[in-house]
Amino acid sequence: MFQATEVEETIKRIQAHKGVMGVIIVNHEGIPIKSSLDNATSVLYSGLIGQLTEKAKNVVREMDSSNDLTFLRVRSKRHEILIAPDREFILIVIQNTSD
Amino acid sequence: MGPWAPTKMSSMSDRKAELERKKAKLQALRDEKDRRRREKEQKDAEEALARASTTSSLDSRRDLDEMLSSLGVAPVKDVLSSLSSMQSLSPPQTASPDASLPHADRSAPPHGSLKKSTQLQIISVQSTDIPPKENVTYAKQTQTTTSGITEIRDDEYNLNPGLEWEDEFTATKPSGKHKSADARTPHPARAILIHRPVLTFDGDAARQGEDDDAFHGKLPPGILPHGLPTVKEVQPAVTAAPPEKKEEEKEKKVRELSADEKHTIMLSAEFQRFVTKAGRVIERALGESVDIYTDYTGGGDSENALDDKSDARLSLVRTFYDERWSRGRCVTCLDWSSAHPELLLASYHNSDDAPHDPDGVCLVWNTKFKKTTPEDVFHCQSPVMSATFARFHPNLILGGTYSGQIVLWDNRVPKRTPVQRTPLSSLAHTHPVYCLSVVGSQNAHNLISVSSDGRMCSWSLDMLSQPQETLELQHRQSKAVAVTAMAFPHADVNNFVLGGEDGNIYTGCRHGQRAGVTDCVEGHAGPVTGVACHAAGGAVDLSHLFLTSSMDWSVKLWSLKENKALYSFENSGDYVVDVRWSPAHPALFAAADAARLDLWNLNRDTEVPVASIQSEGGAFNRVSWTPSGAHLTAGDDAGKISVYELAESEYQPRHDEWSKFVYTLQELRNNQADEESDRLSLASGPPSLTSLTSLASNPLR
Repeated sequence: MFQATEVEETIKRIQAHKGVMGVIIVNHEGIPIKSSLDNATSVLYSGLIGQLTEKAKNVVREMDSSNDLTFLRVRSKRHEILIAPDREFILIVIQNTSD
Repeated sequence: MGPWAPTKMSSMSDRKAELERKKAKLQALRDEKDRRRREKEQKDAEEALARASTTSSLDSRRDLDEMLSSLGVAPVKDVLSSLSSMQSLSPPQTASPDASLPHADRSAPPHGSLKKSTQLQIISVQSTDIPPKENVTYAKQTQTTTSGITEIRDDEYNLNPGLEWEDEFTATKPSGKHKSADARTPHPARAILIHRPVLTFDGDAARQGEDDDAFHGKLPPGILPHGLPTVKEVQPAVTAAPPEKKEEEKEKKVRELSADEKHTIMLSAEFQRFVTKAGRVIERALGESVDIYTDYTGGGDSENALDDKSDARLSLVRTFYDERWSRGRCVTCLDWSSAHPELLLASYHNSDDAPHDPDGVCLVWNTKFKKTTPEDVFHCQSPVMSATFARFHPNLILGGTYSGQIVLWDNRVPKRTPVQRTPLSSLAHTHPVYCLSVVGSQNAHNLISVSSDGRMCSWSLDMLSQPQETLELQHRQSKAVAVTAMAFPHADVNNFVLGGEDGNIYTGCRHGQRAGVTDCVEGHAGPVTGVACHAAGGAVDLSHLFLTSSMDWSVKLWSLKENKALYSFENSGDYVVDVRWSPAHPALFAAADAARLDLWNLNRDTEVPVASIQSEGGAFNRVSWTPSGAHLTAGDDAGKISVYELAESEYQPRHDEWSKFVYTLQELRNNQADEESDRLSLASGPPSLTSLTSLASNPLR
């Protein structure tokens, strides 16, 4: 249980960061495990970013099979989405950049 | 196929008979040719089958083949090739050898169309590539269950076997949008399939016989059952069907996880590890405030800000503070990683505000990334009085605790408690360990620890169960030295300098006949708080120099070669808590008293510090330089570590600083000698004089 609080701590810290709008942890199937956003938004982000990450991972591997995707940043006019993928999970942070 | 020249009817019967014979012979030849060809195609189809990757669908294809051949139809190898290309994503290289044929006479009118009653015409269909939105599945079952729909449909395009398949696939779409009988409006799937002239049957009158016709029409190119005219078609263009399939699978999988399932996942070790790892990366990324879209064509505000900054010799750039782990805890020790120079290790005393948290805390801070949280958090049951990165073991962190235990943390292990600790026994320490240092080389190094009861232990990092060596530190068999500070001269593993609670400065060595404390000087009037050996190596060896700070409000400069202080800096109006030489500049050192951080440059001024900065809130307790010498860190009693930036002109030594410093030292000695002689009115040959002459004789650079 102590470790679970450590996870909470980490997520809370990230969320407390200036400009962070939401934190979502998605499993490899694109299902949100933990999210600070409402359900509909989480599902939307999880599905879309899950696919994007999968695609990006494929791109990296196609170019060099010994390589792997480690981080993905999607910068848009309004937000920046930081994506930290792993074998099992993806950590997504949506950050407001227009401040 | 040989051309079918219309035979002229001759009036002469014998001629006619002869012609008939020839015709029959020709027919036989053609039949033979046909048969051989069919055999060949069968073989090709089987090869294609073998090449097809999935074995599960192999059976179904064979079934199809058997079904078709039972109807007297050659196996549909083209279907196979198109299918296999769909599934294996490989280019349709399994095409039959005569695949070039259909391409060759694609534009040519079909040869035997005369024979048929139906009129055939060529139409050109616009080739548009609209990616179909339908979800495509490839089940044979689907084909049979929905075959009724295809019949209802008035399908003019249904000449193409692949097309029919596609159509049926679309029918499986949940929305069922295309189940309607109107097929004339080309839907997306069809739009990509029909790229080229196709045969169309005119009129609905042909509806009845169409079943039959369509059946033959469905045959793959180049196959001519019953000598029917070749209606060559080209395989359907296969577009991005496989990714679609994946997408569909994903959609299917997306389902809500129950709270319980989520909880289980969250408690899994895998998840914990991931969050720790990814969280760290994300925090670093978030910490980067660099705006890559900075527009320099705008105003020039930033230049002014830069000017302001460069003016200050010492300016606060960052603070390290953690609400949970460092609040209210006095910083007891600071150390820098030799493997990763950006990592700062800080140990903390206990906090009265957090009685439920562990007493001892060690945090690793990162000066490279602008993240506000510690890189690692470690804790143990007793307050940590001293801490050090284990040199030569970049992952290990050592802490000396108030209880006397030495604890070892490993940042590769995802736990915050020590992975190893020394025993609390009479063999090791039973008093607070105030000093901890790793000395030696890559192949032979030891951890040296000193506790306040005057015991020095050497440890091997491989075995913390008992010390390799113990040394009782006492001077002339009197009582044990209560050590509060220790330092090893640069690159020395044997000699050390100690500061005692009694204000005395002790020197000693670890090995040899006289191992232990060898010398003692009454240095300060109050407990010694810090000892620092000269750190900046250069043209002149100055490693014999060291500084001590004390609660008697002074900092003193010493040399190992003399038993008298070279100089005393008495500028502070409070306890001087720590002193540190710059690792880059030979004449630069930092000293901290409770309220102020002073920067001294002895080459510039020996009377007053070149720069001072007031503490913000807490009282300083520890000072440390970054390995580069560009930053100075100071930890206070409230758990905050401030990072100060030095102006480059301050910390960057000029090449002549070393020789200049030697002159400065000489000057200090001369002044001291003058004072002495004034006071005693006779030169009594102090030991400083001898060393002075030795220094003077020493060729300087």
